[in-house]
Amino acid sequence: MDTDPLVRDYLGRLQAAAWPLSTDRRDELLGEVREHIESALGTAGRRDEVTVRNVLERLGPPEEIVAAEVDGEPGAAASVQGAASAAVVPAAAPAPAWGALEVIAIILLTAGAVFLPFVGPIAGLGLVWLSTRWTTREKVIASVIVLVLLVLPLILLFAVDVPSVGYPLGGSAS
Amino acid sequence: VTVSLWIVLIPLAGILAAVFLVAMLVRRQRR
Repeated sequence: MDTDPLVRDYLGRLQAAAWPLSTDRRDELLGEVREHIESALGTAGRRDEVTVRNVLERLGPPEEIVAAEVDGEPGAAASVQGAASAAVVPAAAPAPAWGALEVIAIILLTAGAVFLPFVGPIAGLGLVWLSTRWTTREKVIASVIVLVLLVLPLILLFAVDVPSVGYPLGGSAS
Repeated sequence: VTVSLWIVLIPLAGILAAVFLVAMLVRRQRR
């Protein structure tokens, strides 16, 4: 099936558009779409140009597939579309991994956590979730790290306080 | 105890998350 130039072109566009995804997710997505095309062509029972074009049209533009994969984050579709058109130009430089949003998020998570307790890391996490440079999985892991460590003292506080509930009031002072 | 734990854990939480996120960006950029 990969010998079909239409399909090859479509998968190439999908691969180019999938730059915001991690390598694993990109490979997985390509495999799924390839499988889907293969199965649709198998069902159609023909591999002529019209059938292939119909199958690809039903799938929709590769940029939209990737945008849906990036969880419909604001601006994801636009940036994905932009990246795909940039990828058409052979000498196009790869998109930088860092934007202002990412830098501010990291500053809030590090320095912000020291100078603005609670507010800094939470605001940093908010910006991380707004960014399209990290995958949802990475955002979830970062959020869990921050939230677990913020809540841990409370859990320890309750764990330590529970046995002292039955302690006579002021009894230990005298 | 809770407050002193927080003084240590809040920056630690932010720094750990930041290190993880930066590592992910750097890894992706190298590929």
